[in-house]
Amino acid sequence: MAKTFEEINEKIKSRKAVVVTAEEMIGIVKERGAKKASEDVDVVTTGTFAPMCSSGAILNTGHSVPRMKMTHAWFNNVFAYGGIAAVDFYLGATECTKDDPLNKAFPGKFKYGGGHVIEDLVSGKDVIMEAAAYGTDCYPRKELRTLINIKDLNTAQLLNPRNCYQNYNVSVNKHTNKTIYTYMGILRPNMANAGYCSAGQLSPLLNDPHYRTIGIGTRIFLGGGTGYVYMHGTQHSPNTTRGANGVPRGGAGTIAVTGDMKGMSPEFVRGVSMTGYGVSLALGIGIPIPILDEDMARFTGVSDEEIFAPVVDYSHDYPNFEGSPLGWVSYKELRSGSINLNGKKIETFSLSSYPKARKIAEILKKRIDEGSFLLGKPVELLPGEEAGLTFNRLKLRPV
Amino acid sequence: MHKNIFLHFSRDLVNKPIISTLIRKYEVEVNILQATITPNEEGTMFVQLRGEEEKLQNALGYLVSSGVDVMVKPRRIKYHENICVSCGACVAHCLPKALFVDEDTGEVKYDEELCIACELCIPACPYHAVEMAVTTMGGSNNG
Repeated sequence: MAKTFEEINEKIKSRKAVVVTAEEMIGIVKERGAKKASEDVDVVTTGTFAPMCSSGAILNTGHSVPRMKMTHAWFNNVFAYGGIAAVDFYLGATECTKDDPLNKAFPGKFKYGGGHVIEDLVSGKDVIMEAAAYGTDCYPRKELRTLINIKDLNTAQLLNPRNCYQNYNVSVNKHTNKTIYTYMGILRPNMANAGYCSAGQLSPLLNDPHYRTIGIGTRIFLGGGTGYVYMHGTQHSPNTTRGANGVPRGGAGTIAVTGDMKGMSPEFVRGVSMTGYGVSLALGIGIPIPILDEDMARFTGVSDEEIFAPVVDYSHDYPNFEGSPLGWVSYKELRSGSINLNGKKIETFSLSSYPKARKIAEILKKRIDEGSFLLGKPVELLPGEEAGLTFNRLKLRPV
Repeated sequence: MHKNIFLHFSRDLVNKPIISTLIRKYEVEVNILQATITPNEEGTMFVQLRGEEEKLQNALGYLVSSGVDVMVKPRRIKYHENICVSCGACVAHCLPKALFVDEDTGEVKYDEELCIACELCIPACPYHAVEMAVTTMGGSNNG
């Protein structure tokens, strides 16, 4: 019999809900079948921890005396966008420090940037803030330099327009004879290694492939604290090829999320340096999936051997939008340490931390078990295959 | 068995066929992992010696008696477990498998003995969890 969000929340409140992780659910569905599993289990918790570049923080620093309409600001030398109301800023995860040599001495190291400032703030470290303004009658001050701490900020909200990619490419370097430096890792020539970045069977959107339970208002584990899905993410693209189990065979859905940074932990909010590429933010996200019916039990029972990712050349095909995937491999194979691509054995490495994903799913399970984390019923689900969304390229037109 | 050692050759030793003697007379395998000669004509070399225990000891004795500075706890990567997130970005870059994923837990582990200090893991780690351990050459046989 189908269950509702409300019924499951009542069970959570009375601490009678049965909560398992997506890893545990695999065995339960295998042993008892999807129907019985849907009767026995109320919530499946998922988790992922990986670099998520489309992340950032909305910071409100409070007003100085005299007041200042800060148009430009830097936190530990990292520029934050101030083209919104006075003393509100958007600090992007991939913004580099203003004096970073970038890739001038290739490959650049990108030791510090927006993601690291966000980590430092979440860690409670003091950060140097500098700001500039042109000065107005109501906001006369034109510059300042001060230490600032997350405790001093009126609000610090993580605001990430694209996180939690539902599946992703496996990267290789096929067409060059030199090492290349990509956002998917350092790739040696002749396909000597392959990078991947997904928690696979633990990953949130791979456990709800058709977005039947996730949408605007879904309460999530975000960076150790609590967050919410506020919309489908940028580049959300549900109409990709899917396997018979409904699981996309490449990048597909994404979510836009937000949450209060003051409740977060640096264990799950980490600055990232990708050699030769740039800086970013690695983030831990966990989503509870209500087992509303037999289908949801079957979806959450998905395992690594049933989830396939496309192998894509990042030396030529990806940058030029050419070619097609060199093949598909399962996460089980990827996680084994090597894949076999058309007879060639390729060593694999992951950019996504499976142990951290597992820990997030466990923490979320505990929070729900304790009755301290209720499910957020979406006011709108993420757009599904029927919505007709496509992921378009930029068409260049003469000006 | 094998031993990773770091050697320092003073200027007057640079022209002597020490490694060649090690191989021919002391019958150990020598895998040269790094070698440099400075503008002052001093040489440093990071090598892996392979062979039976007794032959290795004899070889080390020969090196010391020849006046080569031998460091038996040589250059290694310093791995910071508390910084590591266990993503595994380093493992496909570590040729001797000193950094590897534990099959049971999925966590990244480091076996110091296997490290050949090639430093390929350093740019591969997005979290700065590995760095070159600082070593000093001062004095002989300071391992």
